[in-house]
Amino acid sequence: MRQHFAGTGASRGSVLGRARVRLPHALDVVEAHVEPGEVDAELDRLHRAIDTVRAEMHDLRERLHGALAAEVGEFLDLHALLLDDPELLAGLDALIRTGRYTADYALRLQRDRLAGVFESMDDAYLRSRIDDIDQVIGRLHAALHARAAELDGAAGDILVTDSVAPAELAQFQAQGVLAIVTSGGSPLSHTAILARSLHMPLVVGATGVLARANDGDVLVVDGDTGRVVIEPDAADLRAHRAREREIKRERRQLHRLRREPSTTTDGVDIRLYANAESREDVAEAHALGAAGIGLYRTEFLFLQRRELPDEDEQFRAYRDVVLGMTGRMVTIRTLDLGADKADRTGLALRDEPNPALGLRGVRLSLARPGLLDTQLRALLRASGYGQLRILVPMVSSREEILAVRERVAALSAQLRAEGHEIAADMPVGAMIEVPAAALALPSFIGDLDFLSIGTNDLVQYLLAADRNNEALGELYSPLHPAVLKLVRDVVRLAQRRGLPVAVCGEIAGDARFAPLLLALGLRELSLHPSTLLEVRRAVRACSMQALTERSRALLRARDRRTIEAWLADACPPVP
Amino acid sequence: MLERTLTVTNRLGLHARATAKLVQVLSGFRSHATLTAKGREVNAKSIMGVMLLAAGQGTQVILRVDGEDETAACEAVASLFERNFDEGG
Repeated sequence: MRQHFAGTGASRGSVLGRARVRLPHALDVVEAHVEPGEVDAELDRLHRAIDTVRAEMHDLRERLHGALAAEVGEFLDLHALLLDDPELLAGLDALIRTGRYTADYALRLQRDRLAGVFESMDDAYLRSRIDDIDQVIGRLHAALHARAAELDGAAGDILVTDSVAPAELAQFQAQGVLAIVTSGGSPLSHTAILARSLHMPLVVGATGVLARANDGDVLVVDGDTGRVVIEPDAADLRAHRAREREIKRERRQLHRLRREPSTTTDGVDIRLYANAESREDVAEAHALGAAGIGLYRTEFLFLQRRELPDEDEQFRAYRDVVLGMTGRMVTIRTLDLGADKADRTGLALRDEPNPALGLRGVRLSLARPGLLDTQLRALLRASGYGQLRILVPMVSSREEILAVRERVAALSAQLRAEGHEIAADMPVGAMIEVPAAALALPSFIGDLDFLSIGTNDLVQYLLAADRNNEALGELYSPLHPAVLKLVRDVVRLAQRRGLPVAVCGEIAGDARFAPLLLALGLRELSLHPSTLLEVRRAVRACSMQALTERSRALLRARDRRTIEAWLADACPPVP
Repeated sequence: MLERTLTVTNRLGLHARATAKLVQVLSGFRSHATLTAKGREVNAKSIMGVMLLAAGQGTQVILRVDGEDETAACEAVASLFERNFDEGG
């Protein structure tokens, strides 16, 4: 019988398939005991599962990089602590020993006991931590039964479950799951963000589906509208096919944009650069017709290892990026490490009281002169192979730029004397992400060749709002009059000086914000290649003249709501 | 054994991140440590135990540390509380 449910679309795509139901881990475990002689074996079984999960999480942690490392990594770290928690472990061992319960049931008892306490808490934030415990216990259950392997049978199915951890999502996709429907969750969750970046259709908050769907039921899931239909009728199938065609057509149109310019309806060319940190990113950027690399992160060369990369290794990595872009401009950022990044080289200070305000970016580079010189020498050598410029992160004053420039000049002379072919004049630019740098820009803009506005950190520092602190909710948002004004001022000043200026934060890669950035005067954006075509499409729907006329209204906006209304008005309807 | 009364002054209270910091700091010491609040005593080296205290801003907790490095452990925890768990506010 046909039943339909209204969830919230969290990641696009219309999918028709069979349901694969995964009940909440802890709920489908019934009371079971082991024989007295098997207690030790059961304890072994539990601890092997714990070791397996620990290894899995470690493995995932190693594979994460870029934005995901910060976002998902924090959860993994919390989960790793929970996994080794004496409260959890001692309780489990005691239950198995004294109650002779199976490991599965002991886990369920522990989960229920903890859930009972968490659920009685007043604090919504703490209450929601039971989700973290559930995810850890769910992983343990899966490891006890090698259930991850069992889900292999879900290839070609739609997973219906209560919640999905960010770390599980990639595994499901690898196993061939077509789409995911969850009864809980939010489109703002890390899982949803990850689903969008993996192009895995996702509907969240579809209450009731879990109770009604059975394995093998035919489902239609629409990741845009959030609609889920069990046993669809002829009209549903027709609607799904129409939706599918529409999405395919959109994808084709988007795909065709690879060879199109990023030009507004009135002929203003917007230069779309790519943010990159891997060979794949560079190849994709090139294939999509990016104007160049606007931000190449060098941290990945330094993370997840114990020894620093030497000059030759760095040189080869940078040279390959330059070669990969075949003469287009490549912007390489010097090391932007801080105590918040998981480096093992021992470069960044451990236990800094406040990593965001600590020894990071250019501060760290200048504090470790050998580190800076090695990187600059590698960059200068790579400049002989194409167009390269150096971007300096976390600049807060003129002195820092002058210090880097002095090293660039000295090392250039040294390298030439050694017989290396290097660029005649290496452009050096600054990330504008510390409010002080934006405000004091007139004092040192003469020492810069180009600018890149790092909105992620600029917003965090300007609004004194940690972007990873969920308790702050919407306080962290680029849609604040102070942010808009500061960005506009930086852009104006740079343009008056004839210097290139780009925005390279997350906001640049969000097609919805393209009209806003253009209205603030930006003509260069740097974004992850996976979002380049969508932003190009948005740009091609904008009229610069109309946006320029409306830019005053944008800067007059007094609050977030007005800015959002401005955007809603300005936005060409992006399907 | 050392005993010390501490006040949770950071705005968010002993939530996941602050608790994780506390547990990480204590894991560097051999001493056994507990926190007591609202009549409940929990293992201070357990992230779950401490979260279950649900100690919000303003709560008084009693720290008890017992072991060879109790003085240093006690100081480290007290300092973490005084620094508001490095939340910068």
